[in-house]
Amino acid sequence: MSGFPILTLMVFAPLVGTFVLLTIPKDRVQLCRQVAAFFGLVPLAASLWALAKWGSAAVTPEGLRLVERLDWIPSLGISYFLGTDGLSFPLVLLTTLVTFVALVAAWDMVKEKERAFFSLLLLLETGMLGVFLALDYVLFYVFWEIVLVPMYFLIGIWGGPRREYAALKFFIYTLVGSVIMLVGILALYFMSGAKTFDMLAIAAAAPAIPLAAQKWIFFALFLGFAVKVPVFPLHTWLPDAHVEAPTPISVVLAAVLLKMGTYGFYRVSYPTLPEAAKAFTVAMAALGLINIIYGALTAMAQKDLKKLVAYSSISHMGFVLLGLAAGTPLALAGGMFMNISHGLISAMLFLMVGAIYERTHTREIAKLRGIYVTVPVVATVMAFSFFANLGLPGLAGFVSEFFVLAGTFRVSVVWVAMAGLGMLVVAGFNLWMMQRVLMGEAKEEYAGLPDATPLELFTYAPLVVLIVVLGVAPGLLMRFLDGPAVQLVQRLGGI
Amino acid sequence: MWRVVLPELVVTATALVALLGDLFLPAGRKRAVGYLSLVGVVLALAAAVGLAATGAVTPGGVGPAPAGPLAGMIEADFFALAMKVVFVAVGLGTVLLGVDFAETRGLPRGEFFSLTLIAVLGMMLMAGSRDLVMIYLGLETTAISSYALAGLLRGDLRSGEAALKYFLTGALASAVILFGMALVFGAAGSTNLGDLLGPGGLAGIRSGWVPVAVTGLVLLVAGFGFKLAAVPFHFWAPDAYEGAPTPVTAFFSVGPKAAAFAAVLRIFGPVLVAGAPGGAGGVLGDFSGLLPTLFAVLSVVTMTVGNLAALAQTDMKRLLAYSSIAHAGYILVGLAVASPRGLAAVVYYLAAYAAMNLGAFAVVIWLENRGTGREVKDYVGLARRAPLAALALVVCFLSLIGIPPTAGFFGKLYLFLAAVGEGQTWLAVVMVLNSAVSVGYYYGVVRNMYLVKESEALGAEPGAVGTIPGTPLVRTALGLAVVAVLVLGVFFEPLSRLAAMAGGAL
Repeated sequence: MSGFPILTLMVFAPLVGTFVLLTIPKDRVQLCRQVAAFFGLVPLAASLWALAKWGSAAVTPEGLRLVERLDWIPSLGISYFLGTDGLSFPLVLLTTLVTFVALVAAWDMVKEKERAFFSLLLLLETGMLGVFLALDYVLFYVFWEIVLVPMYFLIGIWGGPRREYAALKFFIYTLVGSVIMLVGILALYFMSGAKTFDMLAIAAAAPAIPLAAQKWIFFALFLGFAVKVPVFPLHTWLPDAHVEAPTPISVVLAAVLLKMGTYGFYRVSYPTLPEAAKAFTVAMAALGLINIIYGALTAMAQKDLKKLVAYSSISHMGFVLLGLAAGTPLALAGGMFMNISHGLISAMLFLMVGAIYERTHTREIAKLRGIYVTVPVVATVMAFSFFANLGLPGLAGFVSEFFVLAGTFRVSVVWVAMAGLGMLVVAGFNLWMMQRVLMGEAKEEYAGLPDATPLELFTYAPLVVLIVVLGVAPGLLMRFLDGPAVQLVQRLGGI
Repeated sequence: MWRVVLPELVVTATALVALLGDLFLPAGRKRAVGYLSLVGVVLALAAAVGLAATGAVTPGGVGPAPAGPLAGMIEADFFALAMKVVFVAVGLGTVLLGVDFAETRGLPRGEFFSLTLIAVLGMMLMAGSRDLVMIYLGLETTAISSYALAGLLRGDLRSGEAALKYFLTGALASAVILFGMALVFGAAGSTNLGDLLGPGGLAGIRSGWVPVAVTGLVLLVAGFGFKLAAVPFHFWAPDAYEGAPTPVTAFFSVGPKAAAFAAVLRIFGPVLVAGAPGGAGGVLGDFSGLLPTLFAVLSVVTMTVGNLAALAQTDMKRLLAYSSIAHAGYILVGLAVASPRGLAAVVYYLAAYAAMNLGAFAVVIWLENRGTGREVKDYVGLARRAPLAALALVVCFLSLIGIPPTAGFFGKLYLFLAAVGEGQTWLAVVMVLNSAVSVGYYYGVVRNMYLVKESEALGAEPGAVGTIPGTPLVRTALGLAVVAVLVLGVFFEPLSRLAAMAGGAL
C-alpha cells in the first residue's frame, strides 16, 4: 500500500457518520440533516479527488489503481484488499453522487425518525462502496451483506402501506441469493486451489476447475447476482420494494443497488469463469431479451407511476445482460455504460415521481393530468427524464443502448431485432405515460400546487447535467470502460 | 504447580465468599454479594488470561499420563485455558445479568451466585482434564448446581418444573455417561484418555472386550448428546430453559452446553482427527470410522429440528431455547468434518456463540427486570421504548443468523470452510438452508421491535407505553456482548489461531 488510503476513507467515512449521528439528540433534526450531508459529501469529495488524480495514479498490470492491501486473515488467505479500475470507478462516482443526492432529497421527504434514517442511509453507502471496491471475496461478501440490513429497515420503517411485506420480500430474496453465492465463492476457493480469496488470484487459477463444476459455480454466483439485477423471474421483489420505499431509497435502490448485480457479472462471473460464461451465452441473451421485452410490456400495463418506473428498470437492465451475452468489446462497454446511464436516469425518474407524489399525494396515473400546466418546472424536468429513459439521442440512455445493439449486431441480428422491438415498447410506455400525466387540462384540485423548490432543483441539477454531458460526449465515460471491456473480451477468448 | 489451577481456586474462593457473604451481610446490604462475585470472576478471568499469556501451558496432545501430584487429572494445555477463558467470561456475563434480576425477582443471592460459580468450576474441570474420572466429577459438579439453579425461583411453579425435568433427564444422562465410562474402564483398564487413546489402551484390549468398549463409547455419545441438547436428546431443554430464572437460562444455553462440547472434544477429538485409538482395526476401528457420520447425522437433525421448532414459538425463552438447540447442531458440524480445522472451528464458534447468545438474553433480562419481555409480543415497539436494547438485539440476532460483519458470520464461515475443505459440502449446504430458515423466527422479534405499530398491537396510543430503562449492570453486560460480537470478527485471525492452537492441543 502506498500513499493516502483514499478508498478506505471513501468507504468508511459514511460509517463514521452513522455513529456520529447517533450521538446527536434526535430532536435536533436540522443538525442531523447537515451532519448526514457532510458525511455524504466526504466520499463524494474523495471520489472526485480520485477522479482528478486518476491519470497520475499508479496502475497495476491488471489495470487497478489506488490499491490498498492489508492482511486480514492470512491463515485463510483473506485480505483487506481495495482497488478500483475503469469498471468500478464510474460506479463509485455514481454511488457517492446519488447517495449524496438522496441524503439531500430526504430533507423534505423524510418527516419522521430523521436521525435513524440518515444513519441507515450512510451505513448503506458504506456497504455499496465496499462492494464496488473490494477485491477479496470475503470482504466483498461482508459488504454485500451489509447492504442488506439497512435497506430492509429503510423500506420497512419509512415505506408505504405494504412496507413490511416489501421489506421482508427484499430481505429474503437477497439473502437466499447471496447465501447461494457464498457457497459458489467457497467452491471457487477450494476448487481453484488458489488458497486465497483474492479475486484476481482466483480468476487466474479458476481455469483449472473442471468445466462441469465451473458451470455449477457460475450458476450459484449467477443466482446471487441475478436477484439483485434483477433478472426475470427473480425480479418480483423489485416492484414491491420500489413502490413501498420512500423516494430517496427508491433512488438509491434503482441507481446503485441493482448495479451491484450487474457489477458482479462483470467483476466476478465473467472474468473468473469465462468458459462457463460462454456455455451460458444463449441463456443469458434469452434472459436479457425477456427482461427487455417483459419489463417494457409490464411497464406499459402499470397504473402506478412508481411501478412503471420499476419495470422500466427491469427492461433497461436487460440491455446489460444482452451486452454480456454478446461479449464484444462494444456490447460489453455498452452494458457498463448502461449501468451508469441507467443509474443517473432512474435516479431522476424516482426523484420526479417523488416530486409529483409530494404535491398530489398520489402516484396513480389515472388521477394525474395536466401537470405541465400545474407545475411547469417540475413537469419539464420530468419530461426530460422520461425522454432520457426512452433513449432519446443526445442523452446518456441512448448511447448505452446504441453501443449494446451495435456491439450485438455482429453476434446475432435476431437478438438486435428483438431488443429493438423492446425499445419500441419502452418508447411507447414512456410517451403514453407523459401524455396521460403531463398533458391535458389541469385538474382543479391540483391548482396552486408549488413548483420546484430550490432544494429540489439542487438535487436534479447534477444528474441532469451528467445525463446530457454523457449523451453528448460519451467518450468521457468510455475512456474508463474501454480498458476493462477489452480485458474482458480477452478473458472470454475473443479477438 | 498450583498456578495451573489458579483460576479454579479463585472461582472456588469466590463461591465460598458469596455463600458466606449472603449469610452474614445485613438484609439491606445483600446486593454486595453480587458485587463480590463480580470482583471474583473478573479476577478469575484475569488469572485465566494471565496463565495463557505467560505461557504456563503444556503442549497437550494425547500421550501417557504424566507423573506428579496432579497425575493427568488436571491439564494445563491450551485447549483447557482457552475453554476456561470462555467459561469464566460466561460466568462474568451471568453474574452481571443476575445482580439486578436477583433483586427484582427475589432470587436467593447466596445460592444464585455461589451455585453459578460452582457450576463454572465444574465446567473448568471438564475442559481441563484428560481423565474420565475428573471429567465426570466436573460434569456432576456442573449438573447438580444447575438443577438447583433451575429451581431457584421458589414460588414459581414453572421454575420447579424446570428443575425437576432438568434433574430427571440430567441424572439419566449422567448415569448413562458414567456407565459408558465404567465399560470403557472395564475393557481397557484405565480412565486416562492419554492411555486409552494411545497404542496400549483401547487398541490393545482382547477382542472379547471390544464390544464392551464400543458399547461404552456409544453410551458416552448418547449421554453427552443429552448434555448438548442434541436432537433426539433435546426434549428437556425448552421446558428447563423456559422455567428457569432468565439469567440461569442464559447461563445454561452457553455454559454447560459449551462444557459438554469441551468434554466431547477431549474424548472424541483425537479419534476424529487421527482415526481409531492406537490405529485399532476391527469393530473399534469401524466404530471410529463411523463417528464422523454419527456426528453428521446428529448435527443435521439437531439444527433442522431446532430451527423448525423455533418457528412456532411465541415465548421468547422457548424461542431462544430452540435457537440454542439449532446452534448445537451447527457446532456439531465441526465434529462431523473430523479435521483439525473442524475442531478449531468448534472452539471459535463456542466463544462467538457465548457472546451473541448472552447478548440476546441480556435484552430479555433488561425487559424482565421491568416486568415484561417473556413473550415475543412484548417486543412490540421496543425500538422506541428501549432503542439501545432493540439495536443490540438486532446485532445479536444478525450474528445468530450468521450475517456479516458479526462473530456469528465468521463462526459459520469457519465451519463452512472446514466442511467444504473436507469434501462435506452437503453439510455446509444444510447449514446454509438452516440459517435461512432461522431468519424466520429471529425476524418475528425484529419485526415486532421496529415495524409493528404499538397502537395496533397493544391497543394503546403511541407514546402511552413508557420507555424501558435498562439497569447499569445489564447495560454493561449487553455492551460487552455486542462489542465482542462485532470485534471477534474483525480479529478473526488471532482468535482463529488461538482456536487452532486449542484444537491442536486435544
